[in-house]
Amino acid sequence: MAEQVVTVDVQAVAQQLEAALVNKQTIPPLTETLGPLTPEQAYAIQTRWTELRVAAGERVIGRKIGLTSRAMQEQLGVREPDYGSLWASRYFPAAGGRVEVPRDLLIQPRLEGEIAFLIGRRLQGPGVTLQQVLAATEAVALSVEIVDSRIEAWRIKLADTIADDASFGAFTVGPWSRSLLHEDLRTVGMLIHKNGEVAAEGVGAAALGHPARCVAWLANKLAEFGVALEPGDIVLSGSLARAVPAEQGDIFVVELHGQPPLTVRFV
Amino acid sequence: MLSEPEKKLLDAIVSARRERRPLTPLAESLGVDLAGAYRVQAASFAGQELIGYKLGLVSPAKQRQMGLSSPIYGRVTRGMLREGTVSLGEFVQPRIEPELAVVLRDPVAPDASPGAVMLAVGAVFLGIDLLDSVWEGYRFTAPDVVADNASGGAFFLGDRALPWPTEGELTLALDGELVATGPIAALEPIAEHIAWLASAVGGLEPGQVIYLGSPAAAVPAKPGLLELRGPCGAVLLARLEA
Repeated sequence: MAEQVVTVDVQAVAQQLEAALVNKQTIPPLTETLGPLTPEQAYAIQTRWTELRVAAGERVIGRKIGLTSRAMQEQLGVREPDYGSLWASRYFPAAGGRVEVPRDLLIQPRLEGEIAFLIGRRLQGPGVTLQQVLAATEAVALSVEIVDSRIEAWRIKLADTIADDASFGAFTVGPWSRSLLHEDLRTVGMLIHKNGEVAAEGVGAAALGHPARCVAWLANKLAEFGVALEPGDIVLSGSLARAVPAEQGDIFVVELHGQPPLTVRFV
Repeated sequence: MLSEPEKKLLDAIVSARRERRPLTPLAESLGVDLAGAYRVQAASFAGQELIGYKLGLVSPAKQRQMGLSSPIYGRVTRGMLREGTVSLGEFVQPRIEPELAVVLRDPVAPDASPGAVMLAVGAVFLGIDLLDSVWEGYRFTAPDVVADNASGGAFFLGDRALPWPTEGELTLALDGELVATGPIAALEPIAEHIAWLASAVGGLEPGQVIYLGSPAAAVPAKPGLLELRGPCGAVLLARLEA
């Protein structure tokens, strides 16, 4: 039996996602309304959505990698990560390690702790290795990503989250560190405190065994689209622990070994 | 183009390696000199994707022993870089060495100064060189070992970017037994060696890995768990299987 091939109006779906983002109203899973989308189709939707946003004044300041943990991959029945773009309008600079995020900006936010990479030299796949990533990285930092889904109740399959900018919501980063770059990034530990209690704990190795391996995957994946990681790009390498749901008034303190903590308050 | 003696040397190495049997040295009797040996090495890698180089004979004492005044180099392909486990059955006479390896972030010109080399290094990692000379008992002349890719067999590379420049000791244990140890200082002058390599190969590229040589004598590889420790508590694990 031939595999079912769905035709997609990429422009229309991108506009639906944009409307969902702006109006904070979720849409049903694309994989239900449109049928079984391929990852390639989903990336085409994501790319078009980003183009629409950029045409309206958005800036892409880096990339995020999702689905890096075995648990998430098993949940979605996939074997590899996915990626999305980081939008300048959703970057919340931390002042003194503190940042306030308007709850209303988001639909169904969840908070993740990750290691961010500041790319110092161009990384062009295919064949980029973890060590080449580390050699080309200027510095790394603790990052808090707030993931969000424009898909109702987070009922996502792989193609849903890919099309939805890999469920990117917002992010912040701590101070860029050269010394953290020289730590063993597999064994660096992380804690997420929610309202004073530990809500999640993670370790560098939770992201594909090594956060830099996720960045290498990204560089090689982007090469399929003729794109490279460029100097100055910020890459969020993937969650080190489970995502913790956030509501208005919640205060999160995220710690990473040897780094100043980041405090995120949903206002 | 290879000369007839160079072709003979290449064929002898290739077929011995295919049959996994050691050879007695040939370069001298065939009249192949060092330059010819590098041509043989290059020819043996025709069409393969290079990911970097290995330096050998980095100590002046070893160089003198071989009648040389510089290190030697071999080629590292993507397929030679291994992770996790390697089967010793693939090799002729496997030995192991504790090493460091740098990955470049910038190009190194053939006439680069040692200071420019230092700036071009993006990161330094622990490395294990799984040597595999085709020359019986590792007895060879300089042209023999160069033609045989400076004994380069397979390589492991750590995944922690150590501070660069780095200092301290390398210690290699096999199944918990210490088998080789040496000071990183014994690899110096590292920048000079990389500059020499860049001039020998016509320049180096960003992303290339360069194994810097070993501060300790190679030891025979046996099945077991390899554990290389280095500066800052860094560790590299690899499993050797029969």
